[in-house]
Amino acid sequence: MHSSDVGIRATDKTARIVTVTELVTTADGKGRRNNPPRRIKLDRSDWTLRTISYITVSLFALFCALPFVLILSASFSSESEIMKTGFGLLPKGFTFEAYSYIFKAPRQIIGSYAVTILMTVFGTAIGLLVISMTGYALFRQDFPFRNGISFFIYFTTLFSAGLAPTYLWIARDLGLRGSYLAVFLQLLMTPWLIILMKNFMRTVPYEIVESGKVDGAGDFRIFWQLSLPMMKPALATVGLFLALGYWNEWYLSSLYLGSTVEFKPLQYHLYNIINTANALKNSVAGSNVSWTELPSNTLKMASAVVATGPIVLLYPFVQKYFVSGITVGAVKG
Amino acid sequence: MTGIDAATEKVARVKPPHRKGRAWRQIRDSRVLLLMCVPAVIFFLVFSYAPLPGSWIAFTNFNYRDGIFGSPFVGFKNFEFLIKSGQLWLLTRNTILYNLAFIVLGNILQIALAIMLNEIRMKYFKKITQAVMFLPYFISVVLVGVIAFNLLNYDTGALNALIEQTGGDPIKIYSTAGAWPIIIILVHLWQSTGYGSIVYFAAIMGIDRGLFEAAAIDGANAWQRIRYIILPSLKPTFIILLLFSLGGIMRGNFGLFWNLVGNNAALFQATDIIETSVYRMILAQNNFTSSTAVGLYQSLFGFALVMLANGIVRRINKDYALF
Amino acid sequence: MNSTIRKAGVAFIALGLTAGTLAGCTAAEGGEEGGGDGGAPTEITMLVLGDKPTNGRLEAMLDELNKNLVEQANAKLDLFYVEWADWQTQYNVQLLSGDSSIDLITTATDWLFAWENAEKGAFLPLTEEMLQENAPKTWEQVGADDHWDLTKLDDGQIYFIPEDNYTQWTNHGFMYRGDWAKEAGFENGEIEKFEDFTTYFQWVKDNKPEAYPWDVSLTNEAALTGYLQGHTDFQTIQQISAGINYPFQTTEDDPYTVTSWYMEGDALIEAAELAKEWNEIGVWREDALNYDGQTREEFYAGLTGADQHHTQTFVTQIVDNMEKKQPGSDPKFFWWGKENGNYFRDIFTHGAMAVSANSQHPEKALQVYDLIRNDETDYMLLNFGIEGEDYVMDADGKLGYPEGYDSSTDALGSNFWAGRMDEYEPAKITDAPNKDEIYAALDADAKDYPYSTLIINKDMIDPTLAAMGGVLSEYIPQLQFGKFDDPAAAVAEMRQKLKDAGYEDARASIQADMDAWAEARDLK
Repeated sequence: MHSSDVGIRATDKTARIVTVTELVTTADGKGRRNNPPRRIKLDRSDWTLRTISYITVSLFALFCALPFVLILSASFSSESEIMKTGFGLLPKGFTFEAYSYIFKAPRQIIGSYAVTILMTVFGTAIGLLVISMTGYALFRQDFPFRNGISFFIYFTTLFSAGLAPTYLWIARDLGLRGSYLAVFLQLLMTPWLIILMKNFMRTVPYEIVESGKVDGAGDFRIFWQLSLPMMKPALATVGLFLALGYWNEWYLSSLYLGSTVEFKPLQYHLYNIINTANALKNSVAGSNVSWTELPSNTLKMASAVVATGPIVLLYPFVQKYFVSGITVGAVKG
Repeated sequence: MTGIDAATEKVARVKPPHRKGRAWRQIRDSRVLLLMCVPAVIFFLVFSYAPLPGSWIAFTNFNYRDGIFGSPFVGFKNFEFLIKSGQLWLLTRNTILYNLAFIVLGNILQIALAIMLNEIRMKYFKKITQAVMFLPYFISVVLVGVIAFNLLNYDTGALNALIEQTGGDPIKIYSTAGAWPIIIILVHLWQSTGYGSIVYFAAIMGIDRGLFEAAAIDGANAWQRIRYIILPSLKPTFIILLLFSLGGIMRGNFGLFWNLVGNNAALFQATDIIETSVYRMILAQNNFTSSTAVGLYQSLFGFALVMLANGIVRRINKDYALF
Repeated sequence: MNSTIRKAGVAFIALGLTAGTLAGCTAAEGGEEGGGDGGAPTEITMLVLGDKPTNGRLEAMLDELNKNLVEQANAKLDLFYVEWADWQTQYNVQLLSGDSSIDLITTATDWLFAWENAEKGAFLPLTEEMLQENAPKTWEQVGADDHWDLTKLDDGQIYFIPEDNYTQWTNHGFMYRGDWAKEAGFENGEIEKFEDFTTYFQWVKDNKPEAYPWDVSLTNEAALTGYLQGHTDFQTIQQISAGINYPFQTTEDDPYTVTSWYMEGDALIEAAELAKEWNEIGVWREDALNYDGQTREEFYAGLTGADQHHTQTFVTQIVDNMEKKQPGSDPKFFWWGKENGNYFRDIFTHGAMAVSANSQHPEKALQVYDLIRNDETDYMLLNFGIEGEDYVMDADGKLGYPEGYDSSTDALGSNFWAGRMDEYEPAKITDAPNKDEIYAALDADAKDYPYSTLIINKDMIDPTLAAMGGVLSEYIPQLQFGKFDDPAAAVAEMRQKLKDAGYEDARASIQADMDAWAEARDLK
């Protein structure tokens, strides 16, 4: 954070000392702000801002929650009621029918959860490590190859080979067809996350790196012991996005896994349930299939709840890492 | 010049005695950093660069026997259908305009939301609202389309029911093309704002608290705090995200448009983007070449735009550029 | 960027592209060697469409079936499923990848891209010798009716085996309720003309407020094509589609001149006007174009007066379900072209079996196919399962289900649709009791599809077809639901746009193929 970027006069008069030890000990990640709570007098503008914030955030949260409430209530409704009168905020004709259909083959669902959780946990861990390493290196001003490698990575977002060549390469040439690796490996990182991490690195003052070098530490040790602990919000953000990427993924599964694996990743399993009806309805294929009990609207809704429920609980855990990592000290710029 | 810049200058200016060994020396000096980049480089080599030459398929009459490089060359024939459809300009325009709206409005709202979240002090309120704001991101677009239909349709939709109750005439939303840019943008914002605000929220968390306290000491009020501390500190993040999005300016969010609009041709003028139109045209064709051709068209456009924008940003502040 | 960094960046990209090019030139992975003859049984894998069953019945059935197959051909059968969600992409991508572990591939010329995949080289050309030696019964039976011609490309080679000994009627029409039709004034509840549905729909609208006359969802062209079939003698050339529409026809009067019922004549405008009338009556929802509901379920629940699909669905599912769920509803079927006999028997390649070009054991695959198609025990096992567990035969010789059987959870799901045989298909208790009468009535007036062996070279016209598909998808949905205020003007606009997209060139190209084909057969 360069003070020159901030226009307010006050900061020019304010100086800050940043010492390594102070910074390292204060970022303890326990979710508490470790600077002593200041009794700063709040003036009218603060109250106005705070009130607006509370109101707006509440409204937005409602706006976000509302459709989910519809989904939830529809999942507990009876199909015939929904057919006649559409969705509502409260369940119509309360029933567990849709859920019992999903859990009728509990083995599949449990297997799907297991596969997805495993992939998410390991993928996030490995991906986070690689991404933060790369982001760190790319931010170091004294790394001569940083721009070349940055461009190399970024370029991949501009051009993509398309479905057929990519599929041929991964499924056939790399032999990953039918293997969970086809999904797992491809989600480990994206250029966006690397560049995001690189951007977050600017919150770590260069003085840290310098003092580490002065102490004779190697680049990796500086990274591991000094920079990383200060980047909790960044790690939490990138980690969260990675985890969500794994949790939500179904496209790669449909392409590379299909029916070859016994346990499909969760979202793909549910996508199958939701889309089978559509696929059959709109095609000539439907002529051969007996349509006895096709997934209904309530089933689709129940699938959504089953898929989403757990991951929503992830955020509150991760939330405690979203604390400021840098603290205040006295001056000498 | 601040201490940081001075340090950088010093490091960069140290020149080894011989020019010939310079590259090797650089590699040796920065070998740890280089090694730290190796996994990512390998990843992209394997998963992004290796299949890239296969996009040659867009210029061939592809068959499985001869493979991508053995199939007969047909020049730009696979691109023709875009032009013949007479829609290319409309599709390009729609795709870009929607993306611009998504990027600009999206980022503004995400920043505003992050700033407001920062003001929330009640712990549980904060946790719950943030978790709730994530929810839309998880809901599959297929369901979003179903819910939208349920709310907006003429015969049984909740919106029209509400309008009737207050004495108005029900609206045929699914026949009114003009309403749909708003609807689509709203749905997109609903789905992505909570998720996207996380980045900005984390950035705000990274601001030196000392700045806030110094500002408070100097008597700055809340608005000045936002304007002079928070916004400038979010600027680098914003610019990087913006540059990043520009690369994909020609790529539309197929799932969103397809599930909301579907085959409702009454709305196409206002809602058709490249992906949906191409999908309708080559759906039955089992045609890998045409879809790759369209992808190339979209990529080239985004590429040109990004190079231009990055060049401009680079001139203003080297640090903010993507590369 | 200073020059070092620029060079570094470029170097990386060059490295990447080189690696990619080298990789792209690598040969495809080799397959494994299977058991030879006389050794361990060969594993033959058959690709079928459908959701992979998880109730264990398929495995049990395969165990039994494979006992037979090992004895008969020293081979075992396994199934590979391409599941429904996203099946078009998955099926084509599977064939694209040249998977050498697949031997037999279910395909079809009208909905499973048989011609496209044959031309692209996904299927192994089957020589006469191969077929005679490894699938003699099939060879004889198909040859007896001269149906091998239906599966040949321009090079004269056979690329798949037609399911030509299985009576199926997949011609489309309306299913409606005989009880309501009777009350609406139709004699015996029978509707004989397309326009009469206006009366029927109006009656439902007036008398059954809880039901839509015809609650239809998404794109369903029936309101147009049903009219066109019944009022003209246009016949659709099934080989050419643009988007999801089939825009090229000939006429019965002049069967070798290519035209289009979207471009020529006034029938389309009349059909559109009728659709508009129906829209104004309120036959379907205001937002039918976006409605995604389960209209079949609604029919079973009495919430709609009509549903639309084909004969097969009607006789195997609709009648049975309506009897159970809406007793007394007397479901009936009006097929398009009933008025003038303008409808066709099913083509013989609506189901077909191909051998994968990358199969390691093509001869063995054909042997297994011959058995599952022609050996009654194997056939019954594969298609219906184990007697007593998956099905039971009742006193009348009809196929029924054991006590407690629930088809939504206990279904076998073997989905063999590429070699069914009339002689082995028992009547089922779920079939409509008047199935045979319906088949006889259909058979009396049906025409045979004349262009089965016609191969259209689409290379040059693919762009135009795609563009035309785009134009049609802009107008047809609204025409079919009567959403244009002025259908005639809309049709005129659409015709102009089709011309701009290159309709005339496409037509000429197809005409050339048609002429060549007709001359070669002395038809012109």
